[in-house]
Amino acid sequence: MTNYLVNRLFGALLTVWVTTLAVCFLIHLVPGDPVQIMYAQSATTTPEQLDLIRHNLGLDRSIIHQYIIYMSNLLNGDFGTTIRGQQPVLDLILLRLPYTLWLTITALIISLIIGGVAGFFAAYKQGQWLDRLLMSSTIIGISIPPFWLGLMLLAFFSVNLGWFPVAGDGWLSLILPATTLAACQAATIGRIVRSTMIDIFDQDYIRTAYAKGLSKPRVLGRHALRSGMVPIISILGMQFAYMMGGAIVVEYIFSWNGLGRLAIQAIFQRDYPLIQGFILTFSIIVVLVSVLMDVLYASLDPRISRK
Amino acid sequence: MKVIKTILITLACITTVATSAKVFSADDIIWARYGDIDTLDPHRSTSTLSMQVWNQIYEPLLARDSEGNIGPNLAKSYSVSGDGLTVSFALNDNIKCHDGSEFTSKDVIFTYERAFSTSNPSNTKSAWGPIKDVKANGELAVEFTFNTPFGAFIPFMADPFASMICDSNEKLGKSYGTTAAVGTGAWKLDNWVKGDKIELSRNDSYINLGRLADNKGAPKMKRLIIKVMPEGQARLAALQTGEVHIAEPPLESVDAVKSNPKLDLFIADNTGQDVFFEFAISRPPFNDIRARQAVAYAIDPDMALDIVFEGLVSREYCTVAQGVMGNDPDFCKSVGYKYNPEKAKELLAELGYSVSKRLEVNMMTWTGGNREKLLQVFQSQLKQVGIDAKIEVMDIGSLNARVKQENNITEGPGSFDLMGWSWYDPDILYQLWHSPGAYEGYNTPELDALLDKTRSTTDPKKRLAVVQQVQKYLIEQAVHVPLYTPGWMWLYGINKNTTGLKFEPFNQPIFLDVTIK
Repeated sequence: MTNYLVNRLFGALLTVWVTTLAVCFLIHLVPGDPVQIMYAQSATTTPEQLDLIRHNLGLDRSIIHQYIIYMSNLLNGDFGTTIRGQQPVLDLILLRLPYTLWLTITALIISLIIGGVAGFFAAYKQGQWLDRLLMSSTIIGISIPPFWLGLMLLAFFSVNLGWFPVAGDGWLSLILPATTLAACQAATIGRIVRSTMIDIFDQDYIRTAYAKGLSKPRVLGRHALRSGMVPIISILGMQFAYMMGGAIVVEYIFSWNGLGRLAIQAIFQRDYPLIQGFILTFSIIVVLVSVLMDVLYASLDPRISRK
Repeated sequence: MKVIKTILITLACITTVATSAKVFSADDIIWARYGDIDTLDPHRSTSTLSMQVWNQIYEPLLARDSEGNIGPNLAKSYSVSGDGLTVSFALNDNIKCHDGSEFTSKDVIFTYERAFSTSNPSNTKSAWGPIKDVKANGELAVEFTFNTPFGAFIPFMADPFASMICDSNEKLGKSYGTTAAVGTGAWKLDNWVKGDKIELSRNDSYINLGRLADNKGAPKMKRLIIKVMPEGQARLAALQTGEVHIAEPPLESVDAVKSNPKLDLFIADNTGQDVFFEFAISRPPFNDIRARQAVAYAIDPDMALDIVFEGLVSREYCTVAQGVMGNDPDFCKSVGYKYNPEKAKELLAELGYSVSKRLEVNMMTWTGGNREKLLQVFQSQLKQVGIDAKIEVMDIGSLNARVKQENNITEGPGSFDLMGWSWYDPDILYQLWHSPGAYEGYNTPELDALLDKTRSTTDPKKRLAVVQQVQKYLIEQAVHVPLYTPGWMWLYGINKNTTGLKFEPFNQPIFLDVTIK
């Protein structure tokens, strides 16, 4: 187990390191000079002044030198300052990060509950009308684009019924965006739970449990569901990463002040330091969550860490 | 262990967010816009989103009435010397900065010196003009001296770009502009949650000395909350539920606002915004006047604007917008090009292009405001005379940099762009077209000479005559092809329970008189 953990952590660090490389050189791959963008509307900025600004940003040094500076700044917690408005990047990101995590974790819980229950019952009633109904609704869930679903939920639950606020940062404001974000993942989880459950229902140990005379709820709850959770955990890491990505659209629609919205704004404004900070934070989180899930998976199923 | 710690910290953060939710009170004005300010520092941005907020927190020395005439504000009077080289201001006394300190000539000088700092000058430094020196004559008088007369200085002193920054901000260090800002305006900064909202509260010691409002004292409402809601349909939904009082509706839903008995639609005019075509003149085809003229003849702006905006914007014939000195539609129309596709074809034929050998160019603009749709209409009009224009849409910051680049490239397909500028004075033409120019585009020695004269002529009548010469030159050379005004953020959906919102020229809302039933 310790070996496994060390291996996984090493892999994670390597991924993050490669990301820092990519992120640092990103600024050189994209067309357009950020300093020119910054002062494009200022007719009186002389080329000498632009050079001075470039120098202050370290853009006039060699790539390797820039990377060393970038890394030492990063390790000191300095992610740079934004081009528009000259704000510290790390502050902006840390301010927004909890909102995105809060949204994605809530959405993950919703999708687990909906997907788990739907998948379980679909498997239980395999081939019957409930199964068909649930499985066809998962197709709808997967196919509906989140931006459309979000607007529809907004129009119905906020404007017509007045149950939820259109925007805001309280619990009540969280429900609609989290549901929108959860819809697609719930459908995916539902389908996976269903196929896992169908396999499990056919296993010998389930038959044995029934043969021992255990009641149905006990067999399903204790024996089937528990072992059915293992494959779900293995995909949770991926699901979380998908949701972090999906949050970008959902945050935009519901005026949710998360990292995703910050990223859209940064991309539109070609605010490179902010884009760099965003990519780095995003990848660190995704890597961290996947390590966490792997460890959890390994501790649930000891065979994994021995491989 | 580390992992567990991280989880705990994350959970702690999440709980903080969950419990920090605040409900707005009945004394709040809630205004929703599509984006956030860049900064609270008036020297670090040029966006309309930012200006509209600065204008609540800070005050300029002068202010405009509804007609655009310039009058007193922080300064009770001003005078310009006979040679135009000295401008003196007498300041009102008893004006307090938000931190309680007195507003004096020191603050004016602090603002000026900050704008001219060599290491980090203001983004709008050039608008101050050729200032030689600034000195205080006691606590309440300031004197600016110029190297050459500068006619656009007085209008600039009435603009949010020239907001007076109290010298106590110096003590704030790096937090100035990001978490703190001290001005003399009607609203004080409580909190800026970046990307989400700006919370301002009433400045109880405020005296209105020149702003466009009946109220001569502090605002009637306690707080002004400026929220960011990027999605247009969400803003409209929030207006309908009463969650926000003022918001820009999405263009495609203007009818929904008009037909809703609970909402009013307000269209800001005299925004100072001029949207126009300009060309990369560093290479063929647009280095030849005939190619530029061909575009000007090939397009029918009246029809395009009607299709895309259905009467929500007005046609602009001049190179300076309505409400700005020099805007004379009859004059500009008389020197401009009228829709004439045959003429366009003739000019293209002279250049060697025809319907079979088509001219291929790029046509750029920036995101939002239905501008992409407008370009699609122009695209089809251009197609009919034999010009194939490829549309490219990007963020305004990128467009600004891109246009500059295009003007320096000597090879590749031709390029022109739909650009928009908002300015309070014809000095905009100097900034755009005097060499080197904001985009390093078209310039000639004659044009430079004319533009120099628009700066050095201070007598309004004589200056107007020079401005008209410049406009004639730019329009005839088809360098700046005026299309329409206003171009961005000019529509306001207002909840009917909200009254008293007023607009100063150049799209500056004033909340002093606002009450909410």
